[in-house]
Amino acid sequence: MNWNGKDTESFQQQKEYVDTALVPLVPISFESDMKETASQHEFVQLLTMLLEKQFKGRILLIPPFTYIKQQEEEEKLAALKRWSDEIDNAGFKHKLFFTSDSNWKLAEDKIDGSLVWVPAVPLEHMEDSYKYSLIEDQAKQFVNIIVHKWQQDLS
Amino acid sequence: MSKQPVSRRQFLNYTLTGVGGFMAAGMLMPMVRFAIDPVLAHGGKGEYHTTKQKVDELSTKPTRVDFSYEQKDAWYTSEVTQTAWVYKNEKGEIVALSPVCKHLGCTVDWEGSGHKSQFYCPCHGGLYEKSGKNVPGTPPTRPLDRYQTKVKDGFLQLGKPEPQDIA
Ligand code: FES
Repeated sequence: MNWNGKDTESFQQQKEYVDTALVPLVPISFESDMKETASQHEFVQLLTMLLEKQFKGRILLIPPFTYIKQQEEEEKLAALKRWSDEIDNAGFKHKLFFTSDSNWKLAEDKIDGSLVWVPAVPLEHMEDSYKYSLIEDQAKQFVNIIVHKWQQDLS
Repeated sequence: MSKQPVSRRQFLNYTLTGVGGFMAAGMLMPMVRFAIDPVLAHGGKGEYHTTKQKVDELSTKPTRVDFSYEQKDAWYTSEVTQTAWVYKNEKGEIVALSPVCKHLGCTVDWEGSGHKSQFYCPCHGGLYEKSGKNVPGTPPTRPLDRYQTKVKDGFLQLGKPEPQDIA
């Protein structure tokens, strides 16, 4: 489900079925790595949108957790912690954080939830049809990872 | 040099009517558009989208057909990709089913997770028969929607998905 009026309304009615929160982690910078952070946003956004479509009835796609790229790690971790506590309180069983920012990879064990790190593919010069098939290929492996997670949950 | 003298009063009158007229038009135009738009919007009904699927390559086994088209949503145009599960039934008719689960909208998979001859929904274990009929005892309560189909130059065209009535 998406973060909009219509979907959140059905979320509130069908809460017991929607047990997974999907949160993109997106850095922002206006320095020399501005373009890099913007491409990461573009990529992660498309990928998570596709996963939402695939698993609409069980996943809620939350607006990205955005932060200043230069920010101290402690600060970012603390802010993310607040978000994940909030998500826990809302009753979600699974938290999936999607990011192309490799800094999170180094702090993975300090994150409460599953971190999925995907290196961003620069999409700006790609033809649309090619772009979509690339994203779809990428999404396939995550579809399996997510289904696997849910199945583990059952056993 | 005999210019028409415009008095202060006349000048104000002209300009105010002008401004007022604009304001009235500004308020009226959207209202008129709201009233007319739904009528115009019906032009889009019954639209078919061509797929890359050749009809004579279809078999009795459901195959996944992806197709994309441009969708205009107010000022925002985007390319949407849709999927259909397509096969030929015993009568040789083309059946194109929407993959959108009738429970909460996940995407169903033919023979997913080892469910023989059924459509499987990975979200809450919904099952459907090949015809799209929902299997009782699983979350969905209605059959999968079925696309209207057409054939053009040997290629499959898909229209709007519509609810099915199968007992
Ligand atoms: S969305 Fe398919 S079973 Fe719930």
